[in-house]
Amino acid sequence: MISDSWLKARFRLDALILKYKLKSIPRSVINPERLIEYQQSLLSQFSKSINEAQLMAIDLEMTGLNPTEDQIISMGIVPITQAGIPLQQAQHLMISIDGSVGSSATIHGIVDNQLENALSLEQAVLWFLEHTKGHILVAHHAPMDVSFLLNYIEKVFGFRMLMPFIDTLGIEKKRYLRQHGQLIKGCVRLGESRERYHLPVYAGHNALLDAIACAELLLAQVAAMGGGHQMKCYELIETIK
Amino acid sequence: MNASELQPIEQFLQTHAPFDALPDDVISRCAREITIGYYAKASAFVEFDPINPKLYLVRSGAFEVRDPQGVLVDRVAEGECFGFSTLLSGEKVVNKVAILEDGLIYHLPHTLFSELRSHHRQFDTFFTRAFAQRLRNEHKFKAKDHTTTSRITNMMAHQPVSIEKHANVCEAAKLMRDNRVSSVLVLDNNQLVGIVTDRDLRNRVLAEGIGGEAVVESVMTKHPQSIAPNALVFEAMLLMSEHNIHHLPVVENNQARGMVTSTDILRSQSSQPLLLIGEIDRQDSIEKLIHVSKQIPVLLQNLISADARAEEIGRILTSVTDALTRRLIVLNQQLLGKAPMAFCWLAFGSQGRQDQVACSDQDNGLLLAEEPDEFAAAYFDKLSHAVCKGLDLCGYIYCPGEIMAQNPKWRMPLKKWQNKFSQWVSAPDPKALMHASIFFDMRAVYGPHSLFDELQSTVLDQTKDNDIFLAGMTANALQQTPPLGFFRKFVLERDGSEVKGMDLKHKGSALINDIGRIYALSAGIKEVNTAKRIRLLMDANIINRKDALNLADAHEFIAHMRLANQGYQANNNLTVSNYLMPQHLSSLLRHQLRDAFKVVHDAQSGLKLKFMRSF
Repeated sequence: MISDSWLKARFRLDALILKYKLKSIPRSVINPERLIEYQQSLLSQFSKSINEAQLMAIDLEMTGLNPTEDQIISMGIVPITQAGIPLQQAQHLMISIDGSVGSSATIHGIVDNQLENALSLEQAVLWFLEHTKGHILVAHHAPMDVSFLLNYIEKVFGFRMLMPFIDTLGIEKKRYLRQHGQLIKGCVRLGESRERYHLPVYAGHNALLDAIACAELLLAQVAAMGGGHQMKCYELIETIK
Repeated sequence: MNASELQPIEQFLQTHAPFDALPDDVISRCAREITIGYYAKASAFVEFDPINPKLYLVRSGAFEVRDPQGVLVDRVAEGECFGFSTLLSGEKVVNKVAILEDGLIYHLPHTLFSELRSHHRQFDTFFTRAFAQRLRNEHKFKAKDHTTTSRITNMMAHQPVSIEKHANVCEAAKLMRDNRVSSVLVLDNNQLVGIVTDRDLRNRVLAEGIGGEAVVESVMTKHPQSIAPNALVFEAMLLMSEHNIHHLPVVENNQARGMVTSTDILRSQSSQPLLLIGEIDRQDSIEKLIHVSKQIPVLLQNLISADARAEEIGRILTSVTDALTRRLIVLNQQLLGKAPMAFCWLAFGSQGRQDQVACSDQDNGLLLAEEPDEFAAAYFDKLSHAVCKGLDLCGYIYCPGEIMAQNPKWRMPLKKWQNKFSQWVSAPDPKALMHASIFFDMRAVYGPHSLFDELQSTVLDQTKDNDIFLAGMTANALQQTPPLGFFRKFVLERDGSEVKGMDLKHKGSALINDIGRIYALSAGIKEVNTAKRIRLLMDANIINRKDALNLADAHEFIAHMRLANQGYQANNNLTVSNYLMPQHLSSLLRHQLRDAFKVVHDAQSGLKLKFMRSF
C-alpha cells in the first residue's frame, strides 16, 4: 500500500520533471502550465476520506483496445460526492475521429453521423482537463482508460504526466481473490462485479451509463470494505504515466 | 445532451407509479435531476439531510420505515418511495428508516417534487392522501352499459362447422345434425364462399324436390353477410334485422373465425339483471327456476367485465337472490297451500346487506307472526326445507353454520326472536356475539313489513346507546386488522410478518361492515347496507364527513378489487376465492390498496376510541 506522503512525493517529483521539460519545449498555442495546475489540484485529495474526496467516475468508448493506435469515440463523466452521484452533473462527450467508427459501432451504438457535433482531439483534451480538475478519476479497468487519456494529452502537449486513479476492477480483483482464491474468466467485468453487490442490471451501454455504473460499483465496494468515512483515498489510488 | 443516454433510469421511472403518468420529456428531466445514493446495511439507518429534504425512490435493496414510537409504517423495496410525508407537510423527519438490504436510492430534490405535484395531477394525488377524491374521480368506477359495448368475439362460437363446396346436401345435413347446429359454412380453399341453413334445406332443397345428392354449392346462399370479430354485438343485431337473417359468419382476413346466431345474442341479453329477474318471476316450476339460475354466474361475469361499481353489483346480485327466494316461496306455497299465518322470510349477512358476490352461501331464517300450532309448525317445516333446498340447487349452498330457515332454531315466532336478540344484547358473551353479528344485518325478503319492523324496532331499541353491548361488539370487530401494505410479492401485516396472499373479505370488506354495523346499532339506524349505513351516519354527524367518505370509498375500492380478482380467477379457470396475490397488482393498485387499508385502520381506531373508552 502506498502512503499519502510517498504518493505526494512522487507527484512533486513528477511536477519538477514536467517543469524542467517545459523549458526545452517550444511555446505552443496551448499553455502547458495547465497540466501542472491539473496535477497540483489533485494532491489535496489523497489524504481525504473516500466520503469527502472529490471523485469523478469516467468511462471511454474506443475504436479498439490499443492506446497507441486506437481512438477515443466518446467520454462519460459523473462526479461521486458525499451526497451520492448527481446525474445533473453527468456529462457525455463525443470526440471526432480519423476514419470511421467501424465495427466498434455495433458495441457502442454510436454511428458516424452522431459524431458530427463532436469535439476535436485537442478540444476534447482541454474539456477533460477542465471538467475533471481537482477530482480523482474512478474507472473500471482504469489503467486502460487513463493510458488512452495520457496518449491524447501527449498528442496535445507533447509530454505525459503522472496520473492518479482508482480502479474498481483492481479493487474487485483483490476482493475476489481474497474470497475465492482464484479468478474465473469474466468474473470481474463491470456487469458481473455489479451483480455481486446486487446492483441493478442496466440494459444498454454508453460511456455515460458505464461511468454511472462504475460510480455505483465503487460506492458498493467501499461500503463492503467498511465504509467510506474511514478509508483514505490514497489507500485505493494507483498511478500511471 | 442526448435524451436517451439515461435510458435505463428513465425506463425505471416510466414503469413505476406515479412517474408512469408523466410525459416522456418530464421523465427525461426527472432522470437528470436524480442523485443516486448507496445505502449499506452496515450503516443501519438512512441519514436524512434536514436542510434539503428529498423524495427517496428505492432502486434496489429493502428499507423499513418506523414512526418515533417504533411502530412499523411501511416496508419498501424496488420502485417504492419514502420521505414524501416530510415534503408534503414541511415538517422535519420524525420516522426512522432502517436499511434491511444494501441498495441504491434515487433522490429527487424537493423543488422537482413540488413542481411535478403542481403540474401533474395524477402525480399529486398519488402522494396526497386525497383518497376519497381520487377514487371518486376515477372514471373506471363509472358503470358502462355492456349491451352496447360488448363485442362479437366474446359470444361467438369459436369453431364454426364448415363443409367443402363440392360436398353434397346430404353430407351437409348430417354434419349439421351431428353438431347440433342450424347452419353450416361452405368453404372453397378455406375461403368462405357461402352458408347453408335449416331454412335453405327446407326452401331450396325439399320444397324444390331436389335430392340429397345435389352439391352444396348449388343450394347455398352465396357471399353471405358477415361480421368482424371485434364488431359490437349491437352491430350484429342491426345487420340481422336489416337482412332478416339469423346466422352471421364471423370473418377475419377472409377466414371464417366463428359463427354468431340470433339465439346467441338473445342468450347474452338475457343475462341482463332486469330480464333475468323478469324470467325468474315467470317460471312456473322449481326445475325451470333452477335452470334459469344458471345465468347468475354469467350475469356476475358480465357486470364485472363491464366494470360496474362493486356496490351496484352487490345490489343487483342480491336482487336476483331475493327474486329467486320469493319465487321459491310462492311456488312452494302453491304446492303446500296457503300459509296458516303471516310470516317473514329473513335474509342475514351478505344477502341482508345486499352485498352478495360469487359463491355466497345461504343465511336465512323465518319470522312467524305467532307461536305455531302443530299443523302450522309442520307446514313451515316443509316450506322452509323446500325453499332452502331450492336455493341450494340454484347455487346458494347450504349454510355450513346451519343458519337457515329449515333449522328449527332459526324458525321462530316474533316473541322468541325478540328474546333471542335480547339475550345477545344484554349478556354480551364475546364469543356468542361473534357468531351473532350477522343476525344484526337482517332484512325481510318476503312477508309483511309491519311484522319485520316490530322485530327490528325492538332490537334497535335495545342496542341504541347500549355501552356494554357496543363495547363487546367493538372488541370483536378489532380482532382482525387490515394489512399494512405490500412488500415485494408479499402482503405486509401490521406486526411486520409477510404472508403470501391477502384475504380481501376478512381483512377488508368484513372489517368495514363491522364498523358500519356497530355505529348503526349505536344510533338505532334501520338500514343494513354498509354504504347506506355510512351515508346515514355521515348525515347524522355520527361520523365526520371526511372520514365517512373515505370509509365509503375504501369499502367500494376493496369490494371492487375483490370482484375484479374473482373475475380474473374465473376467466383463468382458477378457484374463485377472496384471496388476492400481490404479484398480480400494478404498483398503482398496491399503493391505492395500501391507502384503503390505512382508512380502515384509522376507522378501527376511531371505533375503539368511541366505544371502548371506558373499558
